[in-house]
Amino acid sequence: MTQALDMTDQAAGGTPVARSRANIARLLRAELRWIYRRPRTLVVLGVLAVIPVILGIALTLVDSPGPPEGSGGDGSGLVTAAAGNALVLPIAALTMALSLLLPMTTAMSGADAIAGEQAHGTLRSWLLAPVSRGRLLFVKAFGVATFALSTTALMALTGIVTGLVINGSGSLFTLSGTTLGLPAALLKVAIAVGWIALQLWAVGAVALAISSWTEHPMVVLASVLGGIIVFSVLSLLDALSWLHPFLLNSSWTSIADVLRDPMPTGALAEGALRAACYIAIGLSLAYARLTTKDG
Amino acid sequence: MTSTALTGVDVPSGASTPAALAASTRGLRKTYGRTVAVDHVDLDVPEGSVLGMLGPNGSGKTTTIRMLLGLVRPTSGKVELLGQPMPDGAGHALPDIGALVESPGFHPFLSGRDNLLRMAAAEPRLATSDIPAAVDTSLERVGLSGAASRRYRGYSLGMKQRLGLAGALLVPRRMVVLDEPTNGLDPAGTREVRTIIAELNASGVTVLVSSHLLAEVEATCTHVAVLHSGSVVAQGELAELLESGSPALLVSTPDGPGAVEALREGRIPARLTPEGVRVDLTATTPPDAIAALVHAGVRIQEARRARTGLEDLFARLTQQEPEGEAGS
Repeated sequence: MTQALDMTDQAAGGTPVARSRANIARLLRAELRWIYRRPRTLVVLGVLAVIPVILGIALTLVDSPGPPEGSGGDGSGLVTAAAGNALVLPIAALTMALSLLLPMTTAMSGADAIAGEQAHGTLRSWLLAPVSRGRLLFVKAFGVATFALSTTALMALTGIVTGLVINGSGSLFTLSGTTLGLPAALLKVAIAVGWIALQLWAVGAVALAISSWTEHPMVVLASVLGGIIVFSVLSLLDALSWLHPFLLNSSWTSIADVLRDPMPTGALAEGALRAACYIAIGLSLAYARLTTKDG
Repeated sequence: MTSTALTGVDVPSGASTPAALAASTRGLRKTYGRTVAVDHVDLDVPEGSVLGMLGPNGSGKTTTIRMLLGLVRPTSGKVELLGQPMPDGAGHALPDIGALVESPGFHPFLSGRDNLLRMAAAEPRLATSDIPAAVDTSLERVGLSGAASRRYRGYSLGMKQRLGLAGALLVPRRMVVLDEPTNGLDPAGTREVRTIIAELNASGVTVLVSSHLLAEVEATCTHVAVLHSGSVVAQGELAELLESGSPALLVSTPDGPGAVEALREGRIPARLTPEGVRVDLTATTPPDAIAALVHAGVRIQEARRARTGLEDLFARLTQQEPEGEAGS
């Protein structure tokens, strides 16, 4: 073991390198490079970026009667409210995408992260380097989380730009009827992006858990989408109201609360807490499986 | 940057004294459900050796290697790699190990170089600033420099194999584990792999190579372990194993039947073969056998030790025991 000292070069700056572990920042960078150089990732980002633009243009062409007052609680109400409103447009687009599209892309990245790598036989080369399994999960979770955040942020960005281009900066109305300045509007959008990203991280954590149980990325995608559809159906059944607090997507429509002035925080906080529970459970399951999995 | 070899390992470790072991397993067993993949594997890989792991398909070579590398936790038994218990000591042992296990795994949408860069990012022994140079050196070593910027998707089987080999050689290692390294390679590629193994061995690196190509093993290895249906049926130095085959003396004589007769009278098992008489030496020595023949007045043209080829040895070890005894 001692002669191992001879073979490594002098580390830059004279500090000894941690010899049995690679620098974690280097791993994270390699992971992000891998995610964002994948053609599929770029296609997904491109499609998601265009959705708010299409929505904005479509709403303009439809020639809607202007922002209706009061409730924008459900998705469709939000979309009508987005006509002629640069603040609501990005949130409406995000809410639409959150119902299925964004969870799907997040599940896709979770599927690629572990099951996809295993299917390619590439997981093994990192395990042999070695990257400990705990660090591997951390790197993978970081990658999925970054991707989910970037999809959300990108949609918000193109949404707000589209809204401002079509309607001008005087069109930043809240659902409560007040008008906001640009900084305040951007803050609201940022809050929405953060909250939606948190919900997607919950989806991503579950996807990673499933991903570590299978080597077929399709299984991950199908399970997550199937789960979301089942959850949506269950949340419509009043007889199962006792179950509703446990369903991740039962609070997804409360994102519209961000657009009220002042912002009611009850439902949002509850949704955030629920997402945090899903993240904790999902990552624990993934960790339990990954550490015992054959490489 | 010379390698970390223990000084004095120039030739395959001399005797069968318990030399330092680069890797060893004791009572290794792995079951998948009711299927026993590997059982009672006691494998020794002496430091500085080139150990060839032989076995028919499904004999447990890859499973053993995966357990050796800590990828799979054994059902029971112990594994030690560079003095570390596996899989728990993987963090300390694996940085010094280069490995190519099963078919090499890479991302099809990345170029060969980018794939290696990604792999290198995880190598604890590489300083970040040294990564590009290490990757280029490794690519050159396996003859892939020309195709380095092409996507992995378009690689031929042989090129994929070379890239896998390049991954195992990214860092100077103490031990290199190659699972079927010549799979899919053309004859030139096979020769290059052989050269690489010889170079590694010359610089004191222990090499564990699994193969079903016997000529391959015979040409490159100092030690051999033969696996058959999940257990080690023979292991040791290649030269010794070949000797031990079934010790026999080949006697060419114009009087074959007479010679067999004479030997049987002396209770020495022998049989007639096309080349002459094959004398079984399990219970006797060559001088005694020849003396018996001479006493009986059998004229002898030539007598020599029969050397079993690896192929014979392998066939004998991995087929069910119709062991050539004394019968004709």
